[in-house]
Amino acid sequence: MNALLLFQLRRVGRNRQYLLFTVLLPALFTVFFTKVFGGAAAGGGYQEYATGSMVSMMAYGAMGAALGATIRLAFDRASGWLRQLRITPVPQGQVVAVEVAVGALLTLPSLVVVAAVGRFVNGVELPLGTWLALVAVLWVGSTAFVALGLLIGLALDEKAAGGAIGFVSVVLAMLGGLWVPVQLFPDALQTVARALPSYWYAELGRDVVAGSAPAPTGVLVLAGFAAVSAILGVLVATRRPLHAVSG
Amino acid sequence: MSGRTDDVSHYCRDGRPTSLDGMPATPALEIDALTVSYGATVAVDQLSLTVPAGRTVALLGANGAGKSTTLNAVLGLVPVSGGSVRVLGRRPLQAIRAGAVGAMLQHGGLPSEARVGEVIDLVRRSYPAAWPLDDLVATVGIDGLLGRPVDALSGGQRQRVLLAVALAGEPPLLLLDEPTAAMDVEGRRAFWATMRDLAGRGHTVVFATHHLAEADAVADRVVVVDGGRVVADGTTAEVKRGAGGRTISFTGVAQPRDDTLPGVTAVRVQGDRVVLTTNEPEATLRGLLAGGRLLPELEVRGASLEDAVLSLTHPADPAPAAPAPTGALR
Repeated sequence: MNALLLFQLRRVGRNRQYLLFTVLLPALFTVFFTKVFGGAAAGGGYQEYATGSMVSMMAYGAMGAALGATIRLAFDRASGWLRQLRITPVPQGQVVAVEVAVGALLTLPSLVVVAAVGRFVNGVELPLGTWLALVAVLWVGSTAFVALGLLIGLALDEKAAGGAIGFVSVVLAMLGGLWVPVQLFPDALQTVARALPSYWYAELGRDVVAGSAPAPTGVLVLAGFAAVSAILGVLVATRRPLHAVSG
Repeated sequence: MSGRTDDVSHYCRDGRPTSLDGMPATPALEIDALTVSYGATVAVDQLSLTVPAGRTVALLGANGAGKSTTLNAVLGLVPVSGGSVRVLGRRPLQAIRAGAVGAMLQHGGLPSEARVGEVIDLVRRSYPAAWPLDDLVATVGIDGLLGRPVDALSGGQRQRVLLAVALAGEPPLLLLDEPTAAMDVEGRRAFWATMRDLAGRGHTVVFATHHLAEADAVADRVVVVDGGRVVADGTTAEVKRGAGGRTISFTGVAQPRDDTLPGVTAVRVQGDRVVLTTNEPEATLRGLLAGGRLLPELEVRGASLEDAVLSLTHPADPAPAAPAPTGALR
């Protein structure tokens, strides 16, 4: 395995905050929301509610993990590590590629753990193929938020990046209907939700559990969002290279 | 030691590296008319400098003189507006990719949530010919630190780990930007002992400092930089001689007239003493006495390197700096 990738994964493994916010918290939310609100729904209603809530929490956890993974760029620039790394033979392209890979890998535990909690704690029932497709689709979709996280990590200094990522993930989760289903939103807010990538991200998962392929609209919105973030990220990195002294 | 590289001329440990056919080896560093500007500010102005392989060179100058910018340009960290830099005959980024350079930067750092050994291992792996770990650890003096979290290092330990990172690939050219800034006296002594050891093994060391004692003690050549230009270049003895041989000091208050005394190249006030640097001490003294002033606690002595640098970088004459008067100076 690539030495830099292994090195970065070891560092992530030491970060308790990552585990707390992107794996444990969504898992707890899944249980909490389902037990509190799902209990009120009778019979088949429970299964539907528990599934929907689980999909939302998978999306929430993966989004947070993807966004949070890339904040390390801002920290590593502030500490001077990226500058130090820049004068070793490690190619700069590899530094960014490894961040993308780490971001992508970090979303997996959130997806798998929340799915497992949905299945074994909340009793969500889906065919095996659907489980696998659900994790796979949400995993691929999470790259859109890896791209957004990279953009934030490249554009802002570490304190601002931390705040921005917290703010962005709360707004995307709340208004995108990851905490409260969009159906309960007033009309105006529903329109807002449909303008957010987080809504379409969870929608990919809802399509899968409904037994269909992800709708083209959602795929296109997320792909476009990822592309715009990536292009902006490249522009920012051109103006302000990774090795720039922060501040 | 490494024994694994074919490029012997860059790694020659015994004596001065020359290529096999007896021609002079490629210089470790060749800077030609380098210009670096930040907006309207010219930080480095047509600076030229050639460092043959195996030498230890100090870039000496005040803060803002252009030392760091020069080193950063050598590493390709700042955009260059003119001139060229060659590291062992290569462009900066090519030289870095080839593992020809190691550096301690002023704004360099270590990653959080990592252990010292992991960082050094990562960097060693990236170089074509890594320094054997045991020897690196012993040379830099970081025994017992490999398992420690980076975040738990003291300032001095951190500097030593950064040196280990700079040396991890056993680079032929080592650039150090005020490496001892965070070290105590003992740490400094140990650090420069390591540097002398490296120079003895054939590494080229170029370091920026404003500690004159360091330049004096370690470098076999001193390049004085001011206003982004080289104002003096030679051995420490040459620079001292070239910059006006003597200082005359006495208790009292500097007067504008001092500037017009014959031979004076610099005037400064140290506490209650006036210190004149002069290359014609006799004429200067005569001028002082002719002015009828008292010279309590008069002292005349050979200029220190500090005096020399001050006279080079803060000329007494407020008009544009006249070229310094000896062959040692540019």
